[in-house]
Amino acid sequence: MKSTVILMLISLLMAIQESLAQSESINDYRNFPIVLSLQFHSLAMPFKDFRSNFKNVGIGIGTEVSLNGSHDWVQQFDFVWIKNKGIGNAFHISSQAAWRPMIGADVFTEVKLGLGYILAKHPSPALIQKDGQWTSKGKKGKGMLTVPVGLGMGYYRYSEDWFVSPFLGYQLLLVSNYNQTLPIVPQTLIQTGLRIHPTY
Amino acid sequence: MKVYVLTAALLLTISNYALAQTFDTQSCEGKVLFESSNRGRSIQSALDKLTQNQIPGAVAAIWDNNGFQIWSSGYAKVENQVPMESCHLQYIQSIAKTYLAVSILQLYEEGRIELEQALTAYLPKQISSLIPNAEKVNVRMLLNHTSGIPEYNYDPRYVTRLLQNPNRVLNPEEYLKYINGKKPDFEPGERYAYRNSNYLILALIAENITGNHQIYMEDRIFKPLGLVDTYYRIEYENDYQGRLVNSYWDRFSNAHLENISVLQNSNVASMIGDDGIITTPQEALTFLKGLLEGELLKPETLDIMKEWVLRQDGTPAYGLGLTYSKFLGISAIGHSGGGLGSGCQLYYFPEEDLYMFLGINLGTVTESPIHTKAEKILEEIYMAILK
Repeated sequence: MKSTVILMLISLLMAIQESLAQSESINDYRNFPIVLSLQFHSLAMPFKDFRSNFKNVGIGIGTEVSLNGSHDWVQQFDFVWIKNKGIGNAFHISSQAAWRPMIGADVFTEVKLGLGYILAKHPSPALIQKDGQWTSKGKKGKGMLTVPVGLGMGYYRYSEDWFVSPFLGYQLLLVSNYNQTLPIVPQTLIQTGLRIHPTY
Repeated sequence: MKVYVLTAALLLTISNYALAQTFDTQSCEGKVLFESSNRGRSIQSALDKLTQNQIPGAVAAIWDNNGFQIWSSGYAKVENQVPMESCHLQYIQSIAKTYLAVSILQLYEEGRIELEQALTAYLPKQISSLIPNAEKVNVRMLLNHTSGIPEYNYDPRYVTRLLQNPNRVLNPEEYLKYINGKKPDFEPGERYAYRNSNYLILALIAENITGNHQIYMEDRIFKPLGLVDTYYRIEYENDYQGRLVNSYWDRFSNAHLENISVLQNSNVASMIGDDGIITTPQEALTFLKGLLEGELLKPETLDIMKEWVLRQDGTPAYGLGLTYSKFLGISAIGHSGGGLGSGCQLYYFPEEDLYMFLGINLGTVTESPIHTKAEKILEEIYMAILK
């Protein structure tokens, strides 16, 4: 687990180092990249139990659009399939506004906040009783509103021969109305992926 | 070809995992018990009503002047329609506290522990240093929940880790990290507040004194009472020859029940002192009856066990491992238990000279719309038992 994080950080730092060495790139932000990601999910308090995150890998796809001329505010749209055998798989759809200040020439950091909806399944088939008889409802679970809050950083270099940008992020999902006793449940996502900028 | 083999292996792994969520509970007596007296019919009818209202399985047992009687309804395992039977092993959850309290009081009778002594006298420094106010908390305060030591399962790190890792068995000492560094709830002895942490610490004390408090409990409680189907510190993933009930939980409070037998089992296998016992209804009643009839403790020690601390409204709350409660206005002493996949009650009604055990295999620690109806039906059961 630790080695995976370290590898991700090393990759990112190498990209940063390269960006610092090659300055003078033109900041011509491109809207609607394809954002592909691996999503490591856990039901956990923020920055706790990272080991569980790396037991549960899912995938995400999304895009984003700039909200201002300097491109340091963007709106992101993400669809994530969460695989989690401990608490059940889920689909999460969200949109977040991200503030993305640049550090160094081509390296950005980001802080983001938004709204989402998670369709959480049961880890094993659920049973319901109707007219006194028990029947299986499958793993179909429950839809719940979420508030995703995230931190991240990535590499962004704009040139004709460089059309992907790697990123690493950490999300806290505040899942509402999990049950009557736990009205808010924290879930976390460690995210790593690529923004791909195709030529449309 | 390799792809097919890999796919098959993957599917097998997934299906094994899915199967592993449940326990292979079997029918162990081949019949559902039924007692034909008016009271028996009323109890059976109320139990049936309970299981027709989305409680998977329920069992009720009493021991009074007419001897031992038991009724059951619903399923020990819903998926295979295995009926709940008297021989099935039930998770008795916090009722384990009464068993541990008896062990501690037996050590007290042997002169191996003092009730007024600080817990630091019985625990190594590396453990006691993790407990808030350890120097000021004595054994009696742990036994009657007046220590002010915080609750480990109020820590959201514990709850999230438990739910996320249904297969993980914790070491007893791991629980202490959830109270380490926490501010005490109140000054020791100031008031009563029920906390599982107290009995976890008592179990660690018993372990330190005896070397193996599981064996001590078996030798001093189970064997003298002839309890052969009672197990403390249960073995994870052991279904006890198919006699351990499956456990269900309404995860999302929407009356869709999930079989959480693995989570329930790992959770109970992790806990010591505050939980960790499975038994049959008859053996649970045998234990309480044996205790209150003086087979386990001297009369003067039993009197100490029934020295009640009071709730803030002045009513009796808790002795040393015993709860004082009322059902339909009738006084009762014993204990209740609740977990993610189980709920039960073990009580003695002195005015009726009657012992009662009730158990269900649905979780009771989180709220569910099922509970609202069940509570009303439970009153019918009490009425039938106590009328």
